[in-house]
Amino acid sequence: MNAPFFKYGLFGDNVSLIIAFVIGIGFGFFLERAGFGNGKKLAMQFYFRDMSVLKVMFTAIVTAMLGVYYLSVIGFIDLSLVYLVPTNILPQAIGGLILGFGFVIGGYCPGTSCVSAATGKKDGIVYVIGVFLGILVFDEFFPLVKGLYNATPMGQLTIAQWSNIPYGLLVFAVVLMAIGGFIAAEWAEKKNAGKEGSVIPERMDK
Amino acid sequence: MSELTQTAEIKKAETDKAKPYWNPYLSGIGLGLVLLLAFIVMGRGLGASGAFGSVIASGLNAVAPQHVNSNEYLKENFEGGVNPLKDWLVFEVIGVIAGGFISGALAGRIKITTFKGPNISNGKRLVFALLGGAIMGFGAKLARGCTSGQALTGGALLNLGSWVFMLCVFAGAYALAYFMRRQWT
Amino acid sequence: MNEFTTTRSNHLVDPVMHIYGWEIAVYLFLGGLVAGMMIVSGYFLYRGREKEDTCSCLYLPTLGIILLSIGMFALFLDLDYKVHVWRMYTTFQIASPMSWGAWILILVYPALILNMIIRLPWYLPTKLKFLFTWSEKLNSNPNYVKAVGIINMVLGIMLGVYTGILLSSFGARPLWNSAILGLLFLVSGLSTASALVHLITKNKEESITLAKADNGFLMAELVILFLFIIGLLSSTQVHINAADIILSGAYAPAFWVFVVGLGIVIPLIIQSLAVRHKIKHTPVAPIMVIAGGLVLRFVIVYAGQLSHWTKKAFLE
Repeated sequence: MNAPFFKYGLFGDNVSLIIAFVIGIGFGFFLERAGFGNGKKLAMQFYFRDMSVLKVMFTAIVTAMLGVYYLSVIGFIDLSLVYLVPTNILPQAIGGLILGFGFVIGGYCPGTSCVSAATGKKDGIVYVIGVFLGILVFDEFFPLVKGLYNATPMGQLTIAQWSNIPYGLLVFAVVLMAIGGFIAAEWAEKKNAGKEGSVIPERMDK
Repeated sequence: MSELTQTAEIKKAETDKAKPYWNPYLSGIGLGLVLLLAFIVMGRGLGASGAFGSVIASGLNAVAPQHVNSNEYLKENFEGGVNPLKDWLVFEVIGVIAGGFISGALAGRIKITTFKGPNISNGKRLVFALLGGAIMGFGAKLARGCTSGQALTGGALLNLGSWVFMLCVFAGAYALAYFMRRQWT
Repeated sequence: MNEFTTTRSNHLVDPVMHIYGWEIAVYLFLGGLVAGMMIVSGYFLYRGREKEDTCSCLYLPTLGIILLSIGMFALFLDLDYKVHVWRMYTTFQIASPMSWGAWILILVYPALILNMIIRLPWYLPTKLKFLFTWSEKLNSNPNYVKAVGIINMVLGIMLGVYTGILLSSFGARPLWNSAILGLLFLVSGLSTASALVHLITKNKEESITLAKADNGFLMAELVILFLFIIGLLSSTQVHINAADIILSGAYAPAFWVFVVGLGIVIPLIIQSLAVRHKIKHTPVAPIMVIAGGLVLRFVIVYAGQLSHWTKKAFLE
C-alpha cells in the first residue's frame, strides 16, 4: 500500500469528506484537550506566562514532520504528492503580521475559535462572526488587494529546495530548535509564576 | 431517600467540576499524529480559514449570484460546478466543532461564559473578539491560510512560505501584546 | 397530466427521478416525529402518569396535531393537483399504501384529540364546554385512559411504519426496495420524539427516562441501518449500486457525517455518559438527534431518487 492513499485512488471525493470529518474530530479534540478553546490561555503566550501555544504547536510540528520524513525515507509515503501551499513571500509575511495582531486582539485563531464556540464560550462565538466579516471584506475588496495577494510568487517550495540544505538536516535542525524553544518556554513560565493568567499559579520560592 | 439525594448531589458536584487541561506536550503529540494521519490518508494537511471562505462564498452566491460572478476571486469557488460547501475543509471544520464539543463535554468544560482578563468588561472583551476575528479573517485570506493551514501544516512540511508566515504571526502578536495588556492581564 | 406509474419505466422516473423535493422529506420527518410522540404519550397514559401536572402526555397531543398539520401542509404543497385531495377519501385501495396512509391519518387526528381532552385547559371557550363532560367521562374509569393510551401507541406505530412503507412500496427506486424502511423510520421517529420530550419536559424523572429510552432507540437505529445496508448489499447488482450511493457515492458524506456521526453515534456517546452521571446533560445531544432524524429523511428521499434500475441503458 502506498501513501497518500487518496492520491493513489484508494477512495473517491465523497469518501474523502467522511475522512475529513473524522480527522477534524481528532483535530478539534486535541485542540480542546490542550486548552486552546480558552482565549485567555492562548493570549498568555504573548505575555510569556503560559507558553502552551508554542509547546503544543512545536510538539505537533515535530511529531508530524518526523513521521512524514521517516515514512518517506522508508518509501511508504511519496512526499511529492503531499500538497504544499504555494509560497508568495510578501503577502504571507504581511498576512502573518495582520494575523498576529488579530490573534492578540481577539484571543483566537480560526481553528481554536471553532473549539471555543463549540464549548459555549461567547468570545469564541463572537470571534467566529468576526472571522466571517473579515473574509467578507477581503472578498469584496479583492480587486484592491489582488496585486499584493499575487506578489512574489515562488511556487510550491520547501526550505530544503530553496536553501539547498538537505531535508534530513533541516528536520534535525527544527527538532533542535524546538527543544531549545521548550527549554526557554519552561524558563519563562517559571519566571512569570504567580502573575495573572500564569500557568504556574504560585511562585516556588515563596 | 436523603442519602440518595446526597449521593446524587455529590455526583452532580463531580460532573460540574471542570477537569484540568492535558499536558501541552501530550496534546501536541496527539495533534501531530492527527496531522500525520491527514498527510498519509489524504496527502494534505489541516486547515480552518478555508472552510470559513467557502461558507461566505456560498452564502453570497445564495443572496447575490450575479455579484459573485462578477468577482473573479469568489468565482473560483464555483468552478467545476461543485457546491463550495461540499468541500474537504468544510467537513473537517464540522469535525473540529464536534471534536471540540466531545472533548469539552468529557472534561466538564461546556459552559456559557466569556474568557477575559480581570480588568475588562464582558462587553468590551466581545468587541475586541469581533475586531480580532475580523482582522484575523482578512489576514488569513491574504496569507492563503491560518495557523492550522499554514503554520502547523506547512511547518511540518518545511514549506518556506509557511515558516515565514509563522515567524510573522509571532512577531505581530508580540509587537501588539503590550498595547493589549489591559484586556488580558 | 403528469401522472406516473411507480412500477414501470417512464420519463418522470427514468433515467433519474426528481419528483420528490424537500416537502416529502419534511413530511416523512414530521410524520415519524409525531408517531414517536404518540407512542411516548400513549405509554405515559398507559402507566397512569397523566395525574402528574408536568406529564408531557398532557401537551404532546396538542404539539402533535400542530406538527402533523405542518407536515400535511408540506405534503399538500407537493401535490400537483391540490383540489383532488378529497378523492383519496372516496375509496379504499387495499394494495395502495397511499390509500392506507390517507386513512391512517384520518384516524390519527381523533386519537390525538382523545388524548388531548384527558386534561382540558381551563380557558377553553364556553362553546366547547361539552368537552368537559367528555373529559369527566374519560377520567371516570382509569381503564378508559389506558385504552386511549393503547390506541395512541397502536396508531403511532402504524403511522411510523407507514412513513417508511410509503417509500418502500415505490418499486421503481431500488434503494427503497426494503421492507425494513418502515421499521427504520419508526425507530428514528421514536428516537427524535424521545429527544424532543427529553429536551422540553419540565418533569425531571420523565426527562431521565426518555434520555435512557433515546439511547436504546439510537442503538436500535444503528442495528436497523446496518441490516438495511446488508440487505441491499446482498441483493442484486442494482441494489448494491443503490446502497453505494449512501455508502461511498454522492450522498455518502451526508449519510455518514450528518446521519450516523452527528445524528446517532456522537449524541449516543454524550447521552450515555450523561445518564450515568459522568457528565452534565446539555441540550446539544437531543438537538443533534432531532437534526439527524431530519437529515435521514432527506438522504433517503434524495438518494433513493438517484438510485435506478435502468440508467445504464439510458446512458448507452
